[in-house]
Order: sequence, then C-alpha cells, then structure tokens
Amino acid sequence: MATQSASGSNSMKPTERAVVITRTYDAPRALVFKAWTDPELLRQWWGPAPFTNPVCETDPRVGGKWHIVMRAPDGTDYPCGGVYREIVEPELLVFTNIATDAAGSPILDGLTRVTFTEQGGKTTVTVDTRATAVVAYAAAYLDGMEMGWVQSLDGLGALIPKL
Amino acid sequence: MPVDHLSITFAALADPTRRAILSRLVSGEASVTELAEPFDMTMPAISKHLKVLEHAGLVARDRHAQWRPCRLTAAPLEDVADWVDHYRRFWEENLDRLGGFLSQLQTEEKKRGHTKRKRK
Repeated sequence: MATQSASGSNSMKPTERAVVITRTYDAPRALVFKAWTDPELLRQWWGPAPFTNPVCETDPRVGGKWHIVMRAPDGTDYPCGGVYREIVEPELLVFTNIATDAAGSPILDGLTRVTFTEQGGKTTVTVDTRATAVVAYAAAYLDGMEMGWVQSLDGLGALIPKL
Repeated sequence: MPVDHLSITFAALADPTRRAILSRLVSGEASVTELAEPFDMTMPAISKHLKVLEHAGLVARDRHAQWRPCRLTAAPLEDVADWVDHYRRFWEENLDRLGGFLSQLQTEEKKRGHTKRKRK
C-alpha cells in the first residue's frame, strides 16, 4: 500500500461551492419580489414541496434578519435564517443563509444573491448562492440525521427501478 | 454511477455504532481500544464494525504503526452526502415551488374579480 492518493489531503477543510439557478415566471416583477420579502407570501412557498413553514419572519432592510423554521412531513424542524445585506426593490436581494441542525449547530453558511429582471411581463429570477460547509458537518449529520440517511436510502431504492 | 459503492457506504452508515465511531474519528485518529471504550462491546465486535467501515473506505488504518490508529477518510461520505447536490436540489425545488405559488396567486386574484387595468 505504497500509493496514497491525493484525496488523503484531509477533507476537514471547509469547502465552498457555488450554485446558480435561473427561472422565468409568468408574473410581474413586483409580485415576485414581494413573494420573497413578505413573510405571509414567503411562508407559502419556501422549502421543498411537502414541507410547511410554521415560523416565517422577515425584516427586509439592510441588516434586518429573516428566520424560517421548515417542518418536514415527519415533524422534524429545520431552522434557517440570516441577515439581509443588500436590498434594491424590486431588483436585488442579497442575504446570508445559515442552516442549522435541530440542536442549533450550523451545518452550512451561505450567501445568496437573488436578481429579478422583467421582460414582457415575465420575471426572470437568478439565484446565485454559495455556501460553506465544514466537513465536520458530517459529525452533526451522523449524530442527528439518522432519518436523513434512511430517507436517502429510501430515495435511492425508489430511484433505482426507474434507471 | 458507482451505485454499488454508494450502497456499500450506505450500508456501513446504517448502523448507529458505526456512525458513533465515525463521529469520534472526526475529532482525530484513535486506536481500536480507544474506539471501543464508550461502547459496551467486545474488541472483536468493534473490529468487525471497523472492517465494515474500512471496506466502505470510510476509515483507514495505518499498516505500519504498531498500534494501527484508525482515521476517518471522509471522501466517500462527501460523495454520498454530497451537500452541494442537496443544496442545489433545495434551491431547484424552492424555485419550482415559487412558480406554482405565483400562478396560484394570480389565478386567485383573477377569480376575485380584480380586473385591474393592465398598464402598458
């Protein structure tokens, strides 16, 4: 066993990755922007489809905070939140997003930039989000997210027959 | 796609003792004796768990050192848990759901008879 691969360079380092997603909606920009900032609207769509948001608070001004508790169908709560860094209504929204596990330890620390452009009555939303997760997150996951693993397994099992 | 490898990793992670061992190794390498300490288990039982973890590539053991310390090799974990993938999927789903919500919102508004004149 003389050959040690380069991947042995201890993955304890924090890794940052960027995700950019664009969607165009058949809706005016002012409404789309409002859907992101008005807590009563935001709570109705935020998070994966079967999740509900029992807590949804926003304070859309620079330095203001947002806080959402997403509830999974099995009752597990996934809190997230952050601080608004830049707001140009109805064009731009920049905020930090920090996800924590049930015990409150951060799993990832992100910065998200959402731009809204309107053309012909349609609005294009671009989410540019980068997050940092330390691999130590694995410990938190392994301790607290047993269900997550099981669900991943179930998901994998459901997926395989379709392949 | 190395589905087989994924299954092996998942199987290794499916056991709470093995997850506890991995959690312990996050804070640094340890000997088998040290790893066995918190568990009410025999050394052979712990060794068996370690073999499963080794086979999944989650734990490596130094073949040369006399006490053969175990250490975490997190690469397969990253593959499985690929958080960026989860993160992307979260945002994809989020934005899809927003689309559904926006059309629902606009349909409701129309139904309420809010015949707002379109501004051009």
